[in-house]
Amino acid sequence: MSTQTVGQEKVAAPTAQNRLKSILLSQEAILLLILVVVIAVLASRSNRFLTTENLLTQGRLLAEVALVALPMTYIIITGGIDLSVGAIFGLCAIMLGWTWDNICLEPLALKTRGMECLTPFPLEASIVVALLIGALAGMINGLFIVRVKVPPLIMTLATLALYRGLAEGISQSRSVRGYPDWFYQLGQGSAAGLPTQIWIMIIAAVISAIVLSRTTFGRSLYAIGNNELGARFSGIPVGRQKIIIYTFSGVMAGLAAWIFVSRVSTTRSDMGTGLELDVIAAVVLGGTSIFGGTGSILGTMIGVITIALLRNGLSLAGVTGDATIIVVGFVLILAVLVNGFIQRRAGAK
Amino acid sequence: MDSILRLEGISKSFPGVKALEDVHFDLQPGEVHALLGENGAGKSTLIKIVSGVYRPDSGTIRVADKEVIFNNPRESQQRGIATIYQELSLYPELTVAENIFIGHAPRNRFRMIDWGAMERRSREILASLEIHDLDVTRKIGGLTVGNRQRVEIAKALSQDAKILIMDEPTASLSEADVQRLFEIVGLLRERGVGIIYISHRMEEVFKLADRVTVLRDGHYVDTRKVADVTEPQLIQMMVGRTIDQLFPKLPAEIGEPILEVRHLHRAPMTRDVSFTLRRGEIVGMAGLVGSGRSEVAQVIFGITPAESGEILIDGQPVKARHPEDSMRLGVAYVPEDRGTQGLIRPMPIRENVSLASLRMLSRASFIDFGRERRLAVEMVNKLGIRAYSIDQIVNKLSGGNQQKVVISKWLSREPRILIVDEPTRGIDVGAKAEIHRLISELAQRGLAILMISSELPEILGMSDRILVMREGRIVAEFSREEATQEVIAHAMMSQTQPAGVVQ
Repeated sequence: MSTQTVGQEKVAAPTAQNRLKSILLSQEAILLLILVVVIAVLASRSNRFLTTENLLTQGRLLAEVALVALPMTYIIITGGIDLSVGAIFGLCAIMLGWTWDNICLEPLALKTRGMECLTPFPLEASIVVALLIGALAGMINGLFIVRVKVPPLIMTLATLALYRGLAEGISQSRSVRGYPDWFYQLGQGSAAGLPTQIWIMIIAAVISAIVLSRTTFGRSLYAIGNNELGARFSGIPVGRQKIIIYTFSGVMAGLAAWIFVSRVSTTRSDMGTGLELDVIAAVVLGGTSIFGGTGSILGTMIGVITIALLRNGLSLAGVTGDATIIVVGFVLILAVLVNGFIQRRAGAK
Repeated sequence: MDSILRLEGISKSFPGVKALEDVHFDLQPGEVHALLGENGAGKSTLIKIVSGVYRPDSGTIRVADKEVIFNNPRESQQRGIATIYQELSLYPELTVAENIFIGHAPRNRFRMIDWGAMERRSREILASLEIHDLDVTRKIGGLTVGNRQRVEIAKALSQDAKILIMDEPTASLSEADVQRLFEIVGLLRERGVGIIYISHRMEEVFKLADRVTVLRDGHYVDTRKVADVTEPQLIQMMVGRTIDQLFPKLPAEIGEPILEVRHLHRAPMTRDVSFTLRRGEIVGMAGLVGSGRSEVAQVIFGITPAESGEILIDGQPVKARHPEDSMRLGVAYVPEDRGTQGLIRPMPIRENVSLASLRMLSRASFIDFGRERRLAVEMVNKLGIRAYSIDQIVNKLSGGNQQKVVISKWLSREPRILIVDEPTRGIDVGAKAEIHRLISELAQRGLAILMISSELPEILGMSDRILVMREGRIVAEFSREEATQEVIAHAMMSQTQPAGVVQ
């Protein structure tokens, strides 16, 4: 294709050649390359790795991380962070099981031993409660970060402890089991040959990607991350956008918790411990700058998949758990170095 | 006479700007020598050369008749030169004595800090300045600005300073602290310390200084004995500039009032501000840096909403609680600081141009990328932004082109009221003229324009009417015909409060 100038424009549109070059040099392309290499190496180490069954199982496991990583991408793009996602995840899981197991609607009371309950709390309502609690927990983060101007790192570190403590206090270390069969469809069932939660993950990822790359909302997140003051001076409602994304983060943690409870058939208060680290690692591996301003959903998804497959593949190849973590750490550092190198190259242009 | 400091033929350039050209200055022992000039006249650059922060491109510095070259501030301090900056440079978590002796604490025979000696000598130095009410073991953080400044002066004396540079020392002092400072300056003078005194307050210059040197646009204007000059003469020397290199203002038809501001108040820098802006009119807003001009603009634009007072647009009272409110009402604000307020620098031209008008370019909040590109191309061509592509990162553009991107962003909203804050600061002469032409053309098309500027020639050349601000208030208003650099500068700097605005 030849270079084109449109009409009497003095500025040239990017040529097809340049566009191809920039796609090949993009962070996502390089990540994809890393992912392909990882898969190839792991497949050669274990013949159980590259099987449909194994990959679908892995898909079930990584869907929860992916769902939480989507809003985390938004948050990190604005220059923030949410450390409380694991705790919100645990709190939502507990609230789902606890409300279903403990509340009686008729007579309206908390169940006690030997009490006869005519209308128990419906499980559907418990699911809604869990999602609302997630939203509320996220919104509290957002409100304090925006209105009281607590740095996101500190605020969500505090609520990480707070929400986890609440979850433990409410559950009294008891687990809830014995959900009705329909409830397991989400975590253990399939639709059109794929595990249900993989469909949910794909739909959520596609919507998140479209919102981030094609809407005014998505554009405003990049603007905030690159220069918050400049965004404010351009009339972007910075506070509102931040509250929205932290709330979104809470809702997605709730959704992931619902799927998790459905997958493992039980509810415990320590669920989701350390989830925030997996999620943040995946987002950063996916090329989102921890300083804000850049990043993409595609990158995050590749990051989530890379980390999950790396762990699974290594353990199938007989590598011990400790060594697996070391390898994951190395890959993370490598990806960050490569990204930094690309950005410096782009910056030097 | 023997000068303790003599500068000859000092020149200094920064990329794109000649900050100083062939400047002379000398200081006698026991003299207070005032340095006067407008914002950007080169005073700060000159004192940074004396204090060793910058090295001059050419010229000589003599301290006590010995030619010296300062490679860093330390070498300047070793020659007995101490600077008291506007933003005081003390450590809030350390005590008074520790701050005074930081970097040269007295040591005992084990090379450990001799705390007793340090406190004793701190007390002695403070006592020599007639300061007896300051506990040397207190932390700096809890002290008043006046006390901190005294500690700064004591610190300078502890280093045996013979030359003291005071940069706007009274800018944030209370009346009582100003009096004490004057007394201390008197004591220092008796000791033979030479003082370079920078202040915008004329009355201080007349009260304290023996001689005054005026700089203008980086050039040396003159040095006079204070006893031999009058205030109007000094102002004339500071501002006497020609305005012929500016773009001539185009005639515009001035219509009905669009924006009326009544008794707008937001502490501390917007106090009872009232004015009117008409269709087609360019109102210049003059004032010193820190006089509250940008603050007023930001109150009108809704960034820092007013605490009281009214804003009327087309005669209707309106609320401006967020920039969104004001933008919807047709107000646009090109802020003072391009880098941090005006632009998202790591983002391309296209995304910067569309940032304020994204809603207008989108359907159901989906951005129409075709329209966005067309808008960017249109703006780049219309304003003559020099770039190789609309996808170029704005950080890579020159200052003038960056400013045009900011203006494009706001013009794409088709505002009716445009506030431009220092629209040509830090950009080259050619781009300056282009921006002046643009502002003039916008007024011709019926926009009401409020132009904040620290450059009097720009204010005089462009404005139909001129408002002068000082300490958060509008203190004077001039028509285009009445205005001269002298009367504006006088209104900007004089200390007298106009009647009727005291609250």
